[in-house]
Amino acid sequence: MFISLVRNELEKTWRSRWIVFAVLGGLFLLIAGGLYTYYVFSQHRWSPPPAVAWQTTLHSEIASNQQSIAQLEAIKQQQGTSGGSFRGGFSIDDAIARAKQAIADDQYLLDNNIAPLQSFSLTLAALFGLGGIFMFLLIRIFGWLASEQIAGERSDRTIAILLSRPMSRDQLLLAKAVASFLISLAVVVATFLIIYAMIAFIAGSIGPVTGQVAIAIDGSKPVGAGNLVVMDIPVFVLMCLGAAMLGVLCVQAMSLLVSAVTGRWAAIGITLALLFGAPLVSAIVTGIITLISGSPDNAHFLNYLFFNVLTPVSSVAPVFGNGPAAAGTGMNEFGAQLATLAAWTIAFFGAAWLVFHRKQETG
Amino acid sequence: MAPIVEVDRLSKHFGRVRAVNEISFSVAEGEVFGFLGPNGAGKTTTIRILLGLLHADGGTARIGGHDCWTDHANAARQFGSTLEQPALYGFLSGRDNLRQFARILGRVDEAHISELLDLVGMTERADDKVKRYSMGMRQRVALAQGMLGKPRLLILDEPTNGLDPNGIHGLRVLLRKLATEQGMTIFFSSHLLSEVEELCDRVVVLHRGEVKAAGPLDELMTTKGFKYRIDVSDVDQALEILRALDGVAAEPGTIKDSITVTSPTDQARIINQALVSAGVGVDQLVHTQKGLEDVYMELTGATPGSTLSSPPPPQPTAAARR
Repeated sequence: MFISLVRNELEKTWRSRWIVFAVLGGLFLLIAGGLYTYYVFSQHRWSPPPAVAWQTTLHSEIASNQQSIAQLEAIKQQQGTSGGSFRGGFSIDDAIARAKQAIADDQYLLDNNIAPLQSFSLTLAALFGLGGIFMFLLIRIFGWLASEQIAGERSDRTIAILLSRPMSRDQLLLAKAVASFLISLAVVVATFLIIYAMIAFIAGSIGPVTGQVAIAIDGSKPVGAGNLVVMDIPVFVLMCLGAAMLGVLCVQAMSLLVSAVTGRWAAIGITLALLFGAPLVSAIVTGIITLISGSPDNAHFLNYLFFNVLTPVSSVAPVFGNGPAAAGTGMNEFGAQLATLAAWTIAFFGAAWLVFHRKQETG
Repeated sequence: MAPIVEVDRLSKHFGRVRAVNEISFSVAEGEVFGFLGPNGAGKTTTIRILLGLLHADGGTARIGGHDCWTDHANAARQFGSTLEQPALYGFLSGRDNLRQFARILGRVDEAHISELLDLVGMTERADDKVKRYSMGMRQRVALAQGMLGKPRLLILDEPTNGLDPNGIHGLRVLLRKLATEQGMTIFFSSHLLSEVEELCDRVVVLHRGEVKAAGPLDELMTTKGFKYRIDVSDVDQALEILRALDGVAAEPGTIKDSITVTSPTDQARIINQALVSAGVGVDQLVHTQKGLEDVYMELTGATPGSTLSSPPPPQPTAAARR
């Protein structure tokens, strides 16, 4: 019977909200079309460029950093021994040190034949698609849909029919949660594949789907044998997908909690206010802390306070580049973020279950 | 017959408002049971407790021997229901709505669904979206939803809402048929007294959260006395004479030059003699059985012939009174 309940929920969501999925599909087509048009105009070519090996990219990155160091040294000599400083107290010596660290990091990867994370279309799509603006939008849509699950039935008065049927409230709540999750999983996987196709076109290659990538354990420290996790590409993609889906699940649990208490419009309003409001508050407080302390590193703890559901994937994104990344990046941070998100998710589901179990439907 | 519905000292409060106060009644298997009461009497609250939507503050409500709250799934296997406002998914067709609810019961039997749609006269519009249905059509599909899975008990809360006279007649015939041919128990909550009078074997009258009367319909009406309609030549004089008689209540009738007289004992001859000897012309004296409406009016304290009255004020709980 549980499968029948899930099927009912899937059918209801699709039949009542198919227009949302149609608009999403249209939006993706527009974005893909826009990107392709931009590509054609900016690159003066209709077809993708030839693929570049990651070793070549790292060699050119090293060359570029060496050139930067030479220029910075020249500036330093012109300005005297102090070396001067850039705006914000960032000294030329700091910039030289960071460029040297970046060269050392790249050289380590070349010497050990470990590919950096951003080398393949597949891993780039995982970082960009599952930790970026697309998920930001999708998570809010999933929150809206989940907030209607119980509240919508209450507004349509069909909740009375459902609850008077021979099933427990636990079964109904679980069926609604599972159906919401399955729909979001399908949309996220489809989104990921579309983004992968777009990135592969721009990079000129779909890249290997086997092989290994490396991620720093602590992104703020130099890359080295003790500060790297090496994993298969599919494992990395699944890890990102899992983290993104945990974020989705967390939002759905919160939305179900709101949905268990109120009617349709109140549930949608409260859910969207929370989903848009929490990151906004987080951003404002981060800005204030950064202004006072002079470093954004001091504000990354806010991710734990406001359930910023994109941070797990984002925390593994900027682990390579020109020098060590900011605090709050790397596999350690990823694990901590996942644990926080899991705690939020369990708390929300537990509260939703408790409320729905005791809720009196007065009609 | 063993009772299929057992309500024992059931109470429900909403804050300081006492919706249902220690009511008790039972419904025997196979009977057509009328649940009566004015707006705010506590009918819907009682039904919602039976359906497992509300948790009672005190007492018990059982269906088929299963507690409606703690053993809800087993209790719910015994009944189907429709609520005051037909609850359906507007974006689905009538047939798809029935498929949805049938899936919860186990499996979708297309032949059974078609049979139910035919029974409620919705075959032709079954594949149209519910949002395009009239209120009466929604009520019919909601009734079919209640009959899904051939339940032992059908709980109907104001099922005639939105139905036209033909629909009401059809519903009455259908419910009688379900009771006599399939042995289905019908729990019929309504404020339409004529429907209850024509349909039900037994009734419970609820008023301000309390049971005011319960029993077989004919017994309830005969035990409440005798009623006469008398056409007279002078209404005012006739009322004056009759009101002087012991145990007789007389009111102007709804028809011109008629009066309505009620008495706990049969006093037809005495009444006639009193009028004739006082010189009041009596065109006819008709002995009518007291209708449910009269009984209902007496029990709920409404005055015959009065216009719409406001719903009763909320009854404070004992705690609130203290």
